[in-house]
Amino acid sequence: MTARDDILARVAAAATHRASHPGGHTPATLETGFDRFASRLRGVGGEAHGPVPAWSAGEAASRVVALRADGGSIFAAESAADLLGPGPWVVPPAELAPIAFEDVAVALMLGTVAVAENAAVALLGREAPQRAMPFLCRHLILLVPANSIVPDQHAAQAALPADAFAHHHLTWISGPSKTADIEQTLVYGAHGPLTLDVIAYGEVA
Amino acid sequence: MTQALELAARRTLPDEGAVTRHDGAVFDLRRRRDLAAAEVPDWEALRERAAALKTHTLDHLDTYLERFEARATEAGAVVHWAEDAADLRRIATELLRAHKVERVAKSKSMLTEECGLNAHLESQGIHVVDTDLGERIVQLQGEPPSHIIVPAIHRSRAEIGALFHERMGTPRGETDPEKLTRAARRDLRSRFLSAQAGITGVNFAVAETGSIVVCTNEGNADLGMSIPRLHVACMGLEKLVPRMEDLPVFLRLLARSATGQPITAYTSVVTGPREGAELHIIVVDNGRSALLADPGHRSALGCIRCGACLNTCPVYRRAGGHAYEGPIPGPIGAVLAPALHPAGAALPHASSLCGSCTAVCPVRIDLHDQLLAWRRELPRPRGEALLGWLAALVLRSPSLYRLAGRLGRLSWPILGVRFPGNPAASWLRGRKLPRHPGASFASRWARRGQGTGP
Ligand code: SF4
Repeated sequence: MTARDDILARVAAAATHRASHPGGHTPATLETGFDRFASRLRGVGGEAHGPVPAWSAGEAASRVVALRADGGSIFAAESAADLLGPGPWVVPPAELAPIAFEDVAVALMLGTVAVAENAAVALLGREAPQRAMPFLCRHLILLVPANSIVPDQHAAQAALPADAFAHHHLTWISGPSKTADIEQTLVYGAHGPLTLDVIAYGEVA
Repeated sequence: MTQALELAARRTLPDEGAVTRHDGAVFDLRRRRDLAAAEVPDWEALRERAAALKTHTLDHLDTYLERFEARATEAGAVVHWAEDAADLRRIATELLRAHKVERVAKSKSMLTEECGLNAHLESQGIHVVDTDLGERIVQLQGEPPSHIIVPAIHRSRAEIGALFHERMGTPRGETDPEKLTRAARRDLRSRFLSAQAGITGVNFAVAETGSIVVCTNEGNADLGMSIPRLHVACMGLEKLVPRMEDLPVFLRLLARSATGQPITAYTSVVTGPREGAELHIIVVDNGRSALLADPGHRSALGCIRCGACLNTCPVYRRAGGHAYEGPIPGPIGAVLAPALHPAGAALPHASSLCGSCTAVCPVRIDLHDQLLAWRRELPRPRGEALLGWLAALVLRSPSLYRLAGRLGRLSWPILGVRFPGNPAASWLRGRKLPRHPGASFASRWARRGQGTGP
């Protein structure tokens, strides 16, 4: 414990306790809505679909799955399967070892909040009990309520449900996995998904 | 001045073509940053807010560190404290040994680079695979990263193709970035699946919730955090933000400043371990508390490692990251170096003080003022005072100035030859002296006929 106490003592001696917290930032008004989100998502290499009525989300998802499926399993997280109803997907058991997710062609999961300024979608830990699935699959499909699209990251943070941090992780996902490490050439699918589709469903705000 | 020349002349980029390519690639990032910043109407207010948040956090760092430790522990993480690099290496090794780990999947962390973690673990028989593509390239090449965001930016596709051919069996002559990336993906996938631990860095730590935030574009950190049962996160003690509500300010600035993206592809906020796994967070000092105690220089602790100051720096762009011979290159590297490692004392002199770094820094660190402040405080390089005195003497007297010019022109052919004691020796190590026009400006002007104007 001494390293801890020594470090904290030094930091306490050095911290001047002067500057007060500047408070929250009020962002400038930005364009929002599905179209804005869709164009930003295109900009980061993904594709947005919809908005579709909630009752036809399953149909819309099946169409996107057909576009992407390239052999291998098609998994839907339980909450996504509940929304979508029957389709070409199966719900993988939560206790499946991550290694068993290696050959997942398509994964379907529920996003919670979508951000128009940066095309990020919040994937909460509670919607992703199989933590590795969205990062091991070749094609990720996220379903977000159309009325959850907010203009900026500040609004997105504020719109998260109370238990957002109660389930190990929350990941903001903006487009497919990418790298530009070889001579600045952008390549999708560095490690995780080669493609990302976002389907907006339900009433528009 | 002498050190600046020394740095610019170090031959870390093989030839003028490589210098031009590096310069272009790096400046392209700067251009993208400008476009992304212009899209955010409140960009300047955001930078202002980020700077104020950092100042406040550093001013109350003891409170926030203790709060972070308490909340992270409540969430089920184990928090360790490391005094210095050796301490971090020891704690990480003990953790990995206790879990009988032989294979580690690591994502990018400048801190572990600073602390020499990889080499140490390898020496202990623990195999570390860097999983960020750029980091993997420099790891296979056996060299340090040359940029904090794009580690292999100094390498051409031909060099990477040759490296992958040798180490991953890609076809000879294959230089297509997409094919090379696919090969690395296949190779690394199996390594992820067999890794027994993931090591990551930490971009931000939230005191309010005890969460750590890890940002990547590849998703490699997320694989490292979600497959093995042990996650070791290494963070500098300055990484804190007070509240979750403060995080968006930094998330909106970071990727835009780094690569011009609106946000990184993956931004993971991790609070405690996932079920059945362990999360260990190592909080590292390694000179940071001393920097905090130095009111003249503590602002450098606000750095969010976006790389924007590197991308805009004329010295970095042409010298390349390896010329800095420290874990962090560029303006921020030169500002941190004198405080963090003794060999870095010369770096603050390697700057033209153009101020471009300060203009782009998302947290408004006064980088060029910092460089100047270090110059005043550090012992002046040998001979600099004499040189300054001589220059003042010559520049004050037109006749001495003309004489010096004549001497310079006479000795020019000799200066271009490398011989021991040549004052231009360090410059000549990297390049040739430019061709001399043969006559002074004044005499050429006189020949043109006075008064005709240019
Ligand atoms: S000093 Fe500023 S510009 Fe440079 S890397 Fe740090 S945050 Fe970015």
